[in-house]
Amino acid sequence: MCSNNFADRQLDHPATTLLIGLGNPILGDDGIGWRVIEAVQSQITDPAVTVRRFSLGGLSLMEQMIGYQRVILVDSIQTSGGSCGEVMWFPLAALPNPSTGHSTAAHDTSLQTALEVGRNLGANLPEHITIVAIEAERVFDFSDELSPAVAAAIPEAVETVLKLLAEPVAAVF
Amino acid sequence: MATKRITIDPITRLEGHGKIDIFLNEEGDVANTYFQIPELRGFERFCVGRPVEEMPLLTNRICGVCPEAHHMAAAKAGDAVYHVDPPSAAKKLRELLYMGFYFTDHTTHFYALGGPDFVMGPDAPVAERNILGVIRKVGLEIGSKVIQARHYGHSVVQMLGARQIHPATSVPGGVLKGLNEDERQEIEKIAQWAIEFAQFSLQLFNDLVLGNDQYVDLILGDIYTDRTHYMGLVDEQNRVNFYEGQISIVDPDGRRLGKYHPRDYRDWIAEHVEPWTYLKFPYLKQVGWKGFVDGNDSGVYMATPLSRLNAADGMATPLAQEKYEEFYAKLGGKPVHQRLATHWARLIELLYAAERMLELATDPEITSDDIRTVPTATPTEGVGTVEAPRGTLTHHYWTDERGILTKVNLIVGTTNNYAPITMSIKKAASNLIKKGTVVNEGLLNMIEMAFRAYDPCFGCATHSLPGQMPLEVTIHDADRQVVDVLKQFC
Repeated sequence: MCSNNFADRQLDHPATTLLIGLGNPILGDDGIGWRVIEAVQSQITDPAVTVRRFSLGGLSLMEQMIGYQRVILVDSIQTSGGSCGEVMWFPLAALPNPSTGHSTAAHDTSLQTALEVGRNLGANLPEHITIVAIEAERVFDFSDELSPAVAAAIPEAVETVLKLLAEPVAAVF
Repeated sequence: MATKRITIDPITRLEGHGKIDIFLNEEGDVANTYFQIPELRGFERFCVGRPVEEMPLLTNRICGVCPEAHHMAAAKAGDAVYHVDPPSAAKKLRELLYMGFYFTDHTTHFYALGGPDFVMGPDAPVAERNILGVIRKVGLEIGSKVIQARHYGHSVVQMLGARQIHPATSVPGGVLKGLNEDERQEIEKIAQWAIEFAQFSLQLFNDLVLGNDQYVDLILGDIYTDRTHYMGLVDEQNRVNFYEGQISIVDPDGRRLGKYHPRDYRDWIAEHVEPWTYLKFPYLKQVGWKGFVDGNDSGVYMATPLSRLNAADGMATPLAQEKYEEFYAKLGGKPVHQRLATHWARLIELLYAAERMLELATDPEITSDDIRTVPTATPTEGVGTVEAPRGTLTHHYWTDERGILTKVNLIVGTTNNYAPITMSIKKAASNLIKKGTVVNEGLLNMIEMAFRAYDPCFGCATHSLPGQMPLEVTIHDADRQVVDVLKQFC
């Protein structure tokens, strides 16, 4: 049968850290994850870091993480009382996992549940997943432009990503 | 770097998003329900002024769930705009890519989304009724197969799409990426594995669902049954086809009202507007809009795996055809109106996708170098239609003589089903709210089951963290006062 096995992905690359820009690049502020990655990419020369941009969630996002020790994920967020353009970072565990109750996501499960699925199935998944989130304002209107306050947050988000990358893999949390 | 502890309290996008209002009458029974789903604004406007050949790449980004479907519809619309017919091998390569996508998508829906209700049972504790519960129940080996199936599907898409996840291969007149013999052999092996997996999935459904009288009663019951019209793409022999053909429409008695070329969709489909939602409700123009009601006189139609089976005369591959016949024999003939049977129909389509993948991977033409006809005609206007997993998907483009878009119209898969989803939700709510007594415990799940059968795609709106679709049900009494609010993910 095919040698192409999902659990063998760790053999395909030497990198230990995956830096992801997440979002939809043409959906207004939802594209901030991509824009931060574009801004930071040229400053990353470490071959241990793989830099990618995705418009994915749940199982598909989990599958991209197989084989890495650490993931840093840059995305937009909308929080209660958050101010547009605010940059925050936190472990994935700090996010609520609403899908523990249901798998109600329209067409996928949450990343946390997907990671649990992958680990249960023996996939080699990272222990350390850090989110760098930027408070978004407009995420319902197609546009390849960011709100001014969100665009202004790119330097701080870049700095945050570089600081996180400079830390030893296990030291951040 | 110092550890920074923050309490994260993400809000979800409830505005026009997963919001259900239930209005009761004087007797405390359900008078009306309103289901609002998100609409992303301005995509058509965003496209105007761009070259039409960018659309297969750009429309990839409408939605994180079905980029391949948008890629295919955009590619076909681009062919039509340039009045060019791609070489046979190019069409087969596109269709092969599409089978890889379908195989992944239908697998995910059954095991991760729709399946838990049946595999775990609709009465199972909510904490168990998800993909983790399924894996615990059916075993790690099967769970691994599911993820392996997704991996294989992704591999096929990547090999043919020239890019991971969001294909970049299609251009007006054909494709840019051909298939070499090594890749062909790999896909052939994957397709053989996929056929076995699809058969296994159907057997699992047979054992766990059809072998359980309670589930069969649930499927056949009235709660999720509406006698609507059905739509689906069919080939020249009126068999289900995902990539090309004519659109077949059948009435609630299973009689074919007609077939039309996708470019004639405006002769068949009109859109009804309601004041309480931004989304429009497509309906059959010839039958007319009679409200959210079923029956032969109502133009409400459905476009799902079940619809495709109902609108066709059979499947184009032998194993899927056997399962098609079993399906109608077990459920009492055509058409099948029970929405929960959509889960079974989806697995029959899974088998068809796997068999078709093998047919195409072993087609002598599939490694041909003749994969593009360079357009020479002046671009004008064109329509491209494919069957997305969750319904018929149509892209309609207008351009100037340079191929620059001047107008864009999209009818996406889920939009077709907005009216029937609304009707199913009302039925579920009516069943659980009697004389003012609300069965809170079951209401959310019964409503979820109603719309999960349709596999609605709101993925395009849920990229931002936390990436979940919230659901809020507000119940109003006859005086329009709020009497209860049920929430999840809110």
